[in-house]
Amino acid sequence: MSLVRKPSAAASWYLPGILAGMWFTFVKMIGNILNPKKMPTLNYPEEKYEYGPRFKGNHVLTVKKDGSIRCTACMLCATACPAQCIKITAAEHDDPTVEKFPISYEIDVLRCVYCGFCEEACPVDAIRMGPEWQTAGLNGSKFAYDIQQLAYRPQLKGGVVSVLDDQERHQAGI
Amino acid sequence: MQVKLLSEHYDKPEFQTLGGYERHGGYVVLAKALKMDPNAIIEEVKASGLRGRGGAGFPTGTKWSFLPKNGEPRYLLCNADEGEPGTFKDRVMMEKAPHQLIEGMIMSSFAIGCKKSYIYIRGEYTDSLRIVGKAIQEAYKAGYLGKNILGSGFDHDMDVYSGAGAYICGEETGMISSLEGLKGQPKLKPPFPAVQGYLRKPTIVNNVETLAAVKYIIRDGAASYRKHGTEKSAGTKLFSVSGNVQRPGTYEVPLGLPLKVLINDICGGLKPGRKLKAVIPGGSSAPILTADEANKVTMDYEALAQMGSMLGSGAVIVIDDSNCMVDMLSTIMHFYHHESCGQCTPCREGTGWLNKITHRIAHGHGESKDIELIKKVSEQMMGKTICALSDAAAMPAISFVTKFRDEFETYIKKGQLGAGGAAHA
Amino acid sequence: MPKIKVNGQEIEVPEKSTVIQAFKQAGVDICHYCWHPGLSIAGVCRLCMVQVEGMPKLQIACNTEVKEGMSVNNTSDVVKETVKWGLDFHLINHPLDCPICDQAGECGLQDQYMQFGSYDPEMAEPKVKKSKAVDLGPTVMLDKERCILCSRCVRFTDEVSKTNELGIFNRGDRSEIGTVQGKPLDNNYSLNTVDICPVGALTSKDFRFRQRVWYLKEADSICPGCSTGCSVKVHYNEEGVWRVKPRVNPEVNGHWMCDVGRNTYKYVNLKSRLLSGKVGKRDLWQEVSVEDAVRSAGLKLRETSPDAIAVVYTGQYTNEEYASAFKFFKEELKVKNVFHWLNNPEKVNEFDGLLFRGDRNPNTKGLENAFASFGAKGSWDNLQAGINGRKFKTVIVFGPEDQSVFPDLDEKIKMFSQAENLIWLTACANKSLDSVGGETWQIPVKTYIEKAGSFTNFQGKVQDFKAGTTIVPQALSVSEAVELMAGREINWNLRPRGVGGPKTNYAVSDRGEL
Repeated sequence: MSLVRKPSAAASWYLPGILAGMWFTFVKMIGNILNPKKMPTLNYPEEKYEYGPRFKGNHVLTVKKDGSIRCTACMLCATACPAQCIKITAAEHDDPTVEKFPISYEIDVLRCVYCGFCEEACPVDAIRMGPEWQTAGLNGSKFAYDIQQLAYRPQLKGGVVSVLDDQERHQAGI
Repeated sequence: MQVKLLSEHYDKPEFQTLGGYERHGGYVVLAKALKMDPNAIIEEVKASGLRGRGGAGFPTGTKWSFLPKNGEPRYLLCNADEGEPGTFKDRVMMEKAPHQLIEGMIMSSFAIGCKKSYIYIRGEYTDSLRIVGKAIQEAYKAGYLGKNILGSGFDHDMDVYSGAGAYICGEETGMISSLEGLKGQPKLKPPFPAVQGYLRKPTIVNNVETLAAVKYIIRDGAASYRKHGTEKSAGTKLFSVSGNVQRPGTYEVPLGLPLKVLINDICGGLKPGRKLKAVIPGGSSAPILTADEANKVTMDYEALAQMGSMLGSGAVIVIDDSNCMVDMLSTIMHFYHHESCGQCTPCREGTGWLNKITHRIAHGHGESKDIELIKKVSEQMMGKTICALSDAAAMPAISFVTKFRDEFETYIKKGQLGAGGAAHA
Repeated sequence: MPKIKVNGQEIEVPEKSTVIQAFKQAGVDICHYCWHPGLSIAGVCRLCMVQVEGMPKLQIACNTEVKEGMSVNNTSDVVKETVKWGLDFHLINHPLDCPICDQAGECGLQDQYMQFGSYDPEMAEPKVKKSKAVDLGPTVMLDKERCILCSRCVRFTDEVSKTNELGIFNRGDRSEIGTVQGKPLDNNYSLNTVDICPVGALTSKDFRFRQRVWYLKEADSICPGCSTGCSVKVHYNEEGVWRVKPRVNPEVNGHWMCDVGRNTYKYVNLKSRLLSGKVGKRDLWQEVSVEDAVRSAGLKLRETSPDAIAVVYTGQYTNEEYASAFKFFKEELKVKNVFHWLNNPEKVNEFDGLLFRGDRNPNTKGLENAFASFGAKGSWDNLQAGINGRKFKTVIVFGPEDQSVFPDLDEKIKMFSQAENLIWLTACANKSLDSVGGETWQIPVKTYIEKAGSFTNFQGKVQDFKAGTTIVPQALSVSEAVELMAGREINWNLRPRGVGGPKTNYAVSDRGEL
């Protein structure tokens, strides 16, 4: 419910309001020049904000210890995704202990709402929401992230290793 | 104390051969039986109160009378697949007195009107196989088997079949499957073997000792047989005594004999300086008895059932205080895990689970909740499967952990043997 | 008929039925794996435990016969506890790799554990490891770890297909399903083992990893693979049709269907379909809208004198379509020359003893009935001579929907194309059709999944089916095509949207430079 307030007669003279606003800005400007450390804004892009480790930024597909993709193509993320931006094509792996793996895994980040449901749905810690948030691009196709981009982009330095290791689980008899 | 009916001539090597057997009154009873009315034999066996000696203790005459009363071909199978750990009475009988078994079988076949019988011998018993096989050939030659036996007009054929070493083939339907050439797995009941058994024909499966005892019932009469033993557990029984006694072996005693007497007097007691810790009275699947219980109990079906155990196949395993119960249970569980046929889920998975838990405890990685878990798992395995193997694994597990809970707890706490004083074997 | 009480609910069941059947009849859920109505009783899963009043021990419902006045329940605490533990026993050595498992979503173990399970398993020991992804044959993959040894598949190959390829090897918890000496599981009914497998131990190579089952919708239909006309379920989603499974129909197929029938979904999908009308001749094709194609074909038909028209039917259309086609050609155009194109006539009466028949048309009987009721006689004679002798100027062919079952298709197309004008109604695209010399109209028609109607199977049993999904929205049913040919109108607005084919992140391709 919105409240409609009638402007007072004084307010219909805009000039005092404008002047008051300019005065306020001027005072702040002087203050910032004299004491730049107290300034609440950042000089982006020279300075960047440090987000917390739990920030839900761009997706990361984790890898196994041998560097191959951790994802088992179970499609639970795609099922949970409210924006329906994940598209996986599964295939049979040569190694019978791996069995199923994604030959293609695409996230359309322009449709993604960064809700993090995929991360929660994943049973094997294969997808995480990473700390990156600067995703600029000049072409629409730049925003369809494939496996190469999701798991092996240079920022990840060879890939993030998943906490769930099949070998260890096998040895533990699970 | 010992009453020797079946084992009377065990000490005479000639008893193994047909000549020796005949010299000691062999096949005389057969001639008598063949002149009787088959139904009269069944009635006689019923009257004798003979109960199955293989483990379940089901009245033999009653079992026979379940057969349909028509001319349908039927089979008699002799269960000589003596797989129960601790049991060796049948082997001794087959090796020392094979003709006694054959005679009993011909008589029983005559009673139930069966023209073909098989002796299913455990695969590991190579000597028994050889000896029984030879004895059957001798019997054929002497006209005790084949067409028109002793001029009575009764035809009968007998064959020996070797098992391949599976415990489960000692279960009657498992044995029938095995004999049919299938994987040795018990069959779903109903239909019961007496209605639909071997080759889907009515079939009676009896233990070696049961069939041999038929001979003595016919020879002496039911009343005379009943003189031995107790009211409900009539006759004599072969006990295979093993474990920590001075003179282990097969002993024939009347049912109802105090276990104390069997251990101390007949088997010569424990080794000097040792104390009785426990007794398994009926093969590894019977619940264990503590020393106190063992001193009180008499060896018959009812008294043992009252103690919560069972007579089973009569395999008395005597355990003195040098043994560790945790180790022992883990060995027993390994056996049942190995021998489960894998058909019913509670048994297939339950035996494996129990085996893993007990092994873990034995290797010093036990946890205090494991004892309760063993109990819970065992309870859920009891009476839930097609055959009794699941119960056979569950019963010792429950009885071990309840009756020797202290020992299990100490073992788990210390990760090894407790203060009980027993050493690792 | 004995009256018994199931969980207090009194019902009357047939003589000699088992308690589990009584439960099913009463509509009471009961946990079970090894029992299958189409197979013998194994009694090994030990989950259908019930308490029978007056019996001390719990009984398995699948092997307990009903008796008059019996009172059974599966709601007592003892039964519930037993079933909970029974399910836990099943899970002891089950790998729980549901994410990778294709059965997830339609898995008996998942469903029944959710309904009856304990949710608090106490198993903490290492599991028994067995081999995974074992190739059993051309159609089936086996995962030995997932197998719960219900022996359904073994009993199926033993009792139904009678091929005995499968068996259970080893004992105890080392038991595993396998084939004897590597002899593959290779028979025309092999995929039924996948259907009856309550877990994901047996998976179809054809369907494996292609879709998750929860993305699929199902529609009832009738298999067009042969004249048996098995009742089937077609599984589809917005990307197309993915598999065909049998539907229980005791009068026709029982619980089963053959592997050939399961392949009928393949030609339905976008890849093999004719998507628009095609008019012209070799090298001079013109893709036109379906409406234009069919209208111009109709014009041509109406121009030709009735004696110069030959109508060729195949047994692959519905009774309703035949009726409208016969009505148009026989009664409106007065065409007398109708022909029945029967593929592999020498095999028509073959039967494999179970379901699969040599007549690979779903509706041969229906076509014969249509011939009879319209007083026409369909035969194959005179067609060749008529075409060669220039008697038939315009030939209209109701071409096969499943072209693979017409081995002489190319040859026949060549023959038909000698006529001046050839109008060909086809569901699938065909290379040979594209290279014929005469004036040709190709008109896309619907497949069995896209239309409603009825097939008459070899017994003469008329089986109705409904439309499942639409793959090619432009395609017409024969009835619609005939209406348009006759110069009348159909309601284009009522046509459903088609499926999109393989899913793409659609926006990406359209975005271009920002």
